[in-house]
Amino acid sequence: MFELLCKYPLIVFTKGKIVFLSGWPWWLFALTLAVCCGVLGFLVLRKASSSLGRRWVPVWLLQCAALGLILLLLWQPALSISTLKPQQNVVALVFDDSRSMAIRDEGRSRLEVLKSVTSDPFINDLKAKFQVRLYRLAGGLEPLESTSALDAQGSATRLAPALRQIVAESASLPVGAVVLFSDGADTSGGIDARTMAEIRSRRLPVHTVGFGSETMPRDVEITHVEIPRRALPDSHLQALVKYRQRGFSGAKTKLSVKEGEKLLASREIVLAKDGVERIEPIIFQSGNSGVKNLQVSLEVVSGEENQANNAVSRALSVENRRPRILYLEGEPKWEFKFIRRAVEEDASLHLTTMLRTTQNKIYRQGINHPKELEEGFPAKLEELFTFQGLVIGGVEAAYFTPAQVELIRQFADRRGGGILFLGGRGGLSDGGFTKSPLADLLPVMLPDRKQTFVRDPATVELTPAGRESLVARLEEDTQKNIERWRKLPHLANYQDVGTPKPGATVLVDAVVPGRGRLPLLVTENYGAGRTAVMATAGTWRWQMQQPLEDKTHEMFWQQLLRWLVADTPGRVSATTPEPVLLDDGALKITARVKDMSYLPSGDAAVEARIVGPEGLSAVVDLHPDPAEAGSYAAEWTAPRPGGYAVEVIARRGEQELGRDAFAFRREDGVAESFRQEQNRELLEKLAEQTGGRYWRPSELDRLTREIEYSEAGLTVRETKDLWNMPVVFLALLGLRAAEWLLRRKWGAV
Amino acid sequence: MFILTAVVLVSLVGLGLGFQRGGRPSFREDDEGPLALPPDANEKTEWAFARLRYPQFRGEGLGRWWASRGHWTVDYPKADRTFVQGVRRLTRIHARSVEQVVDLDSDEIYNWPWIYAVEVGHWQLTDAQCKKLRDYLLRGGFLMTDDFHGTFEWEVFTASMSRVFPDRPIVDIEDSDSIFHVLYDLDKRVQVPGIYPLLRGMTYEYDGVEPRWRGIYDDKGRIMVAICHNMDLGDAWEWADHPDYPERYASLAYRIGINYIIYAMTH
Repeated sequence: MFELLCKYPLIVFTKGKIVFLSGWPWWLFALTLAVCCGVLGFLVLRKASSSLGRRWVPVWLLQCAALGLILLLLWQPALSISTLKPQQNVVALVFDDSRSMAIRDEGRSRLEVLKSVTSDPFINDLKAKFQVRLYRLAGGLEPLESTSALDAQGSATRLAPALRQIVAESASLPVGAVVLFSDGADTSGGIDARTMAEIRSRRLPVHTVGFGSETMPRDVEITHVEIPRRALPDSHLQALVKYRQRGFSGAKTKLSVKEGEKLLASREIVLAKDGVERIEPIIFQSGNSGVKNLQVSLEVVSGEENQANNAVSRALSVENRRPRILYLEGEPKWEFKFIRRAVEEDASLHLTTMLRTTQNKIYRQGINHPKELEEGFPAKLEELFTFQGLVIGGVEAAYFTPAQVELIRQFADRRGGGILFLGGRGGLSDGGFTKSPLADLLPVMLPDRKQTFVRDPATVELTPAGRESLVARLEEDTQKNIERWRKLPHLANYQDVGTPKPGATVLVDAVVPGRGRLPLLVTENYGAGRTAVMATAGTWRWQMQQPLEDKTHEMFWQQLLRWLVADTPGRVSATTPEPVLLDDGALKITARVKDMSYLPSGDAAVEARIVGPEGLSAVVDLHPDPAEAGSYAAEWTAPRPGGYAVEVIARRGEQELGRDAFAFRREDGVAESFRQEQNRELLEKLAEQTGGRYWRPSELDRLTREIEYSEAGLTVRETKDLWNMPVVFLALLGLRAAEWLLRRKWGAV
Repeated sequence: MFILTAVVLVSLVGLGLGFQRGGRPSFREDDEGPLALPPDANEKTEWAFARLRYPQFRGEGLGRWWASRGHWTVDYPKADRTFVQGVRRLTRIHARSVEQVVDLDSDEIYNWPWIYAVEVGHWQLTDAQCKKLRDYLLRGGFLMTDDFHGTFEWEVFTASMSRVFPDRPIVDIEDSDSIFHVLYDLDKRVQVPGIYPLLRGMTYEYDGVEPRWRGIYDDKGRIMVAICHNMDLGDAWEWADHPDYPERYASLAYRIGINYIIYAMTH
C-alpha cells in the first residue's frame, strides 16, 4: 500500500535525501505563499463572511493548505538516493550453520525454513542484479557453493568476527550489502562496539533475516552466572545465578553448585514469571586449595524442551596462600584474645599481633622471626606492606607518627590492603581520631566528643545490606541468618561511631536500650583497598556465653578478616577478561605489575606459564602496554577444551617482583544449547545500526528489490521525483473535498 | 604429774599448731579488718579480679578436721585489692579497683574469663560444678589456683580437678612457656612463702618444700589452668606493703600474677 501511494518503497524515503530541483530560493516560496494566503483571506472574508460568520477561518486554512501544496510541487521536490550499480557489486549472503539452526520450532527446522526461502528464485533474482557470494557461518566464516551444503552442525555462532572478515574483504571487493540469515543466537556474547564501528565506517548495510521462534514455550535456562574467580580455602562464596523460564511459573526446582560429583550447596527455588529474568543467590564453601571446575545447575523440570541449558561451568582458583594481617592493640582486652583464637582456627589467615601491655612494652605474637616488628609499629613501607590487612584496635591516634599515618593511608590507597578499626576506650573518637588524618580512612563520620565507648550491653541486628553480605553470613538460609544474629548474646560494650559516610555500607547495627540503633559494622572501599569499622570490643561474649560447639564468634571473625584481605593484590595481579571461553580459544592475558614500593613497574619481564588439559603446557611473554604504566598483556589461544591454570611471574633483573595465578576454561559445543530462542533484538539492532533492515523469511521477495539502496560498493546517485506521487494528488483532492463538505454542512454552497 | 603432763601436751599441741597456717600469731590484725570500698568501686572495666567461691572440702575423720581450715575467702579482699593496684600501675589493663566474687552455680562466671581460686586444697566441687568449670575453661576461660601446700592438699585439689578434666594431665610448665615471658621474664622463680611460715623462718608449709608451677593445657597448647602449688602468692600480694614481708617475694608474686593475667588475655 505504501509503495502504491508513494510510488517508491519505504527504504527510499528512509535512506534518500530530499532535494528541490527548481533551484528557486526558499524565501520566494515563503513570500509567494504569504501573498497568496493574504489574497485568499481577503477574498474569502469578502465573499463568504455573511454566510459563514467566523467559520470562514477553517475554509481559508484549507484553501491555504491546498495552495501551499501546489506551490511546493512547483519547487519540484525529489529524493536523491544512492543505489548499487547493476552487476558491478557483490552481495554477501551469510548463512548461520550452527547447531541451533537445527532446532524444530513448528514442525520444521530453522535450516529447512532457510533453505526453502533462499532456494533458487531468490538467489537468481539477486544474481540478476549483483554478483552473489555465499558464506557459511559455523564457528568461522567459510565460502559456500550452495545452501544445500548447509547441515547445521557448527558448534558456535560468532557474528562479530564473521562481519569483521566481510568488512575486511570489502576493502578489495565492491561489497554492496550483507544479508545475514540467522537465529541471532550469538555464542560470543554479542557484537562489540569495535565491529559495529568498522561496519559503519564502510557504510555497509547489514540486512538480517531472523529464523526461529522468538519464545521457547517450555524451557528453563541459566542465562548468566557470576561467581568469584579466586578465593581463599574454606571461604564462604556466593554465586549469583540469573535464569529465565517459560511455561513453569510457580514450579519448584533445585539450584545446586557441584564440584564434579560432590555437592557443595543446594537449595529449592520457586520459578519466576514467564520471560522474566531473575537472580538467585546460592552460598557454598570454596573447599581446599586448587583449581576447581564448578557446575551451577537448575534441576530439570519435567517437560522441558531443552535440558542442556540448565547448567553452566565455571573455573574457581582456590589459592594456596596465607594472607598476613597485622593487629595492633592499645591495651590488653578480652576481644584481642578471642579474635586471636578465632583466627588461629583458620589455616588461611596469618595473624600477627602487637599488644601494648605496658606504656612502653609491646608483646608480639605470630611474628615470622624474633626481629620482626621489634622496633614497634612499622615505620617503613617495606615492613608494613608485607601485610595484606591491618587491624587497629583501641590505639590512640597520637600513638602514630605523621609518617606512620601516611603509611597507613598508603596501605589502603596504594597497596590495596584492608584496614579494620575496632572500638575501644582508646580508639576512634575517644582516641582522638576525629581530628586525625586517619579519620579520612574511616567509613564513618566520627562524633566530635569523648566517652563514646560505653561498657553497657547491646544486642545486634543485621541491616538489609548485612542480610546479603557474606561477611555476616552465619547461616546459609537468609531468614535463619537474620534470626541467629538476633539471638546472639549481647555485646559487652559498644562505641558510638557517628554516621556512615556516603558510599559506606552498614552491615550490622548495635541495638542499645534507650538509644536505639547505632552502626556497628560499617565497610567501604578506599582507594585500591577497603576499610571497615567494628564499633565494639565486646564480641568475646559470643564465645563465652554460647555452647562450646557454637562457632559463631570464630566464623564471624574469620569471615570479616578474610573479607579484609581476600582481594588485597600482590605485586602482580593477572587475569583474563572471560572466565569461560566458548568454542573459541583466543584469550588475552593481562597483568598489572608493581615494584617493591607498590608503584607501577614498566620495566619488568613478565611471563605466563600455562598448564592445560592432556599435559598441555606453554610459556607466553607478556608485553608492556604503552598506554598504562605497569600493565602487560599477551594474546594466546587455548587449543583444547578443558581447564587451564595460568601463573604469571614478573621479574626485574634477577629479582622476582611477584607472581599471581588464575584459572579459566574452554568449553566447546556447549554455547549452542543456550539462548535458543531467536535473538530478534540483536538482529534488529545490527540491521538498524548499519543501515540495513530486519526481515522475516516471508518478506524476502522485497529484500531483493530494496537491497540495491546502499552507499557501500560501487554506487550511482539517482533522483526520484516526488511531485507525481499518487498520495500528493489524493491530498489535494482531500483538501478541496474537505472544504466543499464543510461549506455544504454549513449551507454555504 | 598429771598437771605437768597436761601442760607439756598443751604446749606441744600449741607449738605444733603454731607451725601450721591455721594458727594466727599476732601480726597487724588491723590489716585484715573490713576495708572501705574505693570511690571507683563501681567503675565498669575490662578486667576484674574474679575470686572463685567454691564448696568446702568435707572429709571423714582427719578430713573433717581439715575441712575446718582453709577457705575460698582467705586473704580476701585485701590481697585482691592490693594486687589490683599493682596491675593498674604496672600494666595498661583497664582494671577494676575491687574484686568480683563468682561461683560455678550460675552462668555469671562466663562474664569473667580470668578467675582466681585460693586454698584449692580445701575445695570439693560437685559434678555440676566440675562440668561448668570444664565448659568455662574450654570456651576460653582461665583459672589460676594458689596457696595450697603439700601432698594432702594436692590430693584434695586433684580429686576435684580430675573430675573437671579426666583426660588431661597436670604437667609442669616449662620455663620457656610464654606464660613466664609474656610481660616479665620469670626464668628464675623462687618459693613465695605465706606470711606466717615466713615469720617462723620457713618458706614452705607441710611437706610442700618444692614450689611447683603446673598447668593443664588445651588441645592447642594453651594453658587453661595455671596451678601455683607450694607457694602463697595471695599472701605476698596481701602483705606487699608490710615492712617485714620481703620485697623479693612480693615483687615476684606480682610479676607472676600479672604474667598470668596477660597470658590469659593473649592466648
